[in-house]
Amino acid sequence: MKNNIIIFTTCLIAFLLFVLPILMIIPIKMVPSGDQPGYGDMGRVSVYGLREFKQIFVSTDKNLVAIGTTIKNPNLKNKKNILFNLYDEKGSLIRTTILNGFNIGDGDFVKIIFEPIIDSKDKKYYFTLSSPTAGEEEIIELFLIKPTNEVLEYTYDEETKFGGIPMVTYHKSGSIIEKIKRVYFNLILKL
Amino acid sequence: MNMRKLLLLAIILRLFVSGLLFHPDIKTIAFQTSFLRSGVTDIYTFLLESKASLPLKEEFVYFPLTYFTIGGYQALIAPILGNNFNNWLIDAGANSVVNNPHVIKYLLFLKMPLLFMDILIAFLLLNYFKKREDGEKAFTLWLFNPFTIILIYAFSNIDIYAVLLTVIAFLYIKREKLLTASVFLGLAIAFKLYPLLFVPFLFLKAKDIKEKVLSVVIPISIFLFTIIPFWSKSFVDSALLSGLSTRIFTPNFTIGSGESIIIPMFAITILFFSTWLDGKEIKLFNCFIVLLLIMFSFSHYHISWLLWISPFLTILIVKRPKLMWLVAIWALLAVLIPLFYSDRSMTISLFRIYSTWYDLLPTPFVVTQKFYDPLGVQSLIHSVLAGLSVVIGYKILKNEE
Repeated sequence: MKNNIIIFTTCLIAFLLFVLPILMIIPIKMVPSGDQPGYGDMGRVSVYGLREFKQIFVSTDKNLVAIGTTIKNPNLKNKKNILFNLYDEKGSLIRTTILNGFNIGDGDFVKIIFEPIIDSKDKKYYFTLSSPTAGEEEIIELFLIKPTNEVLEYTYDEETKFGGIPMVTYHKSGSIIEKIKRVYFNLILKL
Repeated sequence: MNMRKLLLLAIILRLFVSGLLFHPDIKTIAFQTSFLRSGVTDIYTFLLESKASLPLKEEFVYFPLTYFTIGGYQALIAPILGNNFNNWLIDAGANSVVNNPHVIKYLLFLKMPLLFMDILIAFLLLNYFKKREDGEKAFTLWLFNPFTIILIYAFSNIDIYAVLLTVIAFLYIKREKLLTASVFLGLAIAFKLYPLLFVPFLFLKAKDIKEKVLSVVIPISIFLFTIIPFWSKSFVDSALLSGLSTRIFTPNFTIGSGESIIIPMFAITILFFSTWLDGKEIKLFNCFIVLLLIMFSFSHYHISWLLWISPFLTILIVKRPKLMWLVAIWALLAVLIPLFYSDRSMTISLFRIYSTWYDLLPTPFVVTQKFYDPLGVQSLIHSVLAGLSVVIGYKILKNEE
């Protein structure tokens, strides 16, 4: 009995530490470029009606597939469509996504997902966020931060300033082997 | 495999789990206890008064002895770990904490006392039995069951201080040294409140009035001695009457006009008085284990609490091998329930040292939600656990070997 318990436990712990992390990587279809920057120190802007928000950013990796940021929906009043339009540096509309305020809680981290852009590495893009049918009582709010290596400048209410929203880009993850390599490389760096 | 090799393998397994799995509590506790190095003795008032300026706002929910023990140990290791360790402690960033290049080293150092206590328990169990063979079985079972390894090292379970002292107390009870046992029980209570529930049974076991009085007075006095200097509203709110301490009194059924019967108290009372009136020799082992089975059956417990019962279950399996599978199923269900809590740090977040990518994965709670009510699943498993506890309790009390 003793030997069986030793073998069972050793195998189970080895599975937990070395196999389970690999299995957990498999369902991850997209990975963030980094951590979401801290927010709250540069105020907020409201998006509704004609008040649109424009953000210029750099995609630091290939296969850009989503943008994540924190959106406030005060008192969950916005139940209208929220339009996301993504443009390349030349101003051509390349992706469009429609969200609905009904699905956005107050302060939710929202991922806006679109078809992957394969050659997105180190390219500049901009997007607009608007909720054209929302009235003054149905605003959504975006936090503002200082510029980072990804977040360059924003335009709101016809004013352009450095910085923007605390956003993080997501990229379609590579093959399973590539993902495993990245996770374990990250772990080895901490040893 | 000889004992030395066995111990070495056990330690290696523990070091791997210590370094690679991360529960945020260890960081919070390490931050809070770091103030002992700056001369703070009343951590409860200090945290309350300095809340606005501190990067981590949580209250210290443990008793003063825990603060001094962990803080004292940290004072010893902090110079070895250097200034970066202090920066890591005050870092409130959820990602930067786990992405720190020294995080594995910090976790290994911070969890080292747990390893020491854990191995000590293994040796106490080795010497618990008259037959060497039984002792070795208990030693192996303690060191090589996945439950205790995960409970202690993945969840950075500082309840192990109270568990070790309770085991020592229990060894003295076995040797009929009740007063020495009550000293250790008092020290255990000074770390965690749960051994206080054992005191009434110690009272029953005592032979004469003097021993009965002392077996109650000693543990309570030790406990009071360690908490009274720190008595304040912040201490009472954050540690003494914290949600975790009082959770055992929550499950109840109403009997009208706002009154209710507290189920665990009701069951413990039955155990106490039936033991008293039984007329046979009082077997405290049986009482302790049944008492803990009652607690886990009828309360929404924290996963780390399961460590309280682990040494007793180990002894039970060695004493009554027929109950092994029943106990194994019980342990499996007991660990499974908290994994369904809506708390990322119970499951996915434990792996954040590997990568913060796992933050993208849903918890078992969220996955279950897609098919069925996860609270319903929890309730279902907990009901089975309660039923199993009754069976194990019955088997233990029926056959009082």
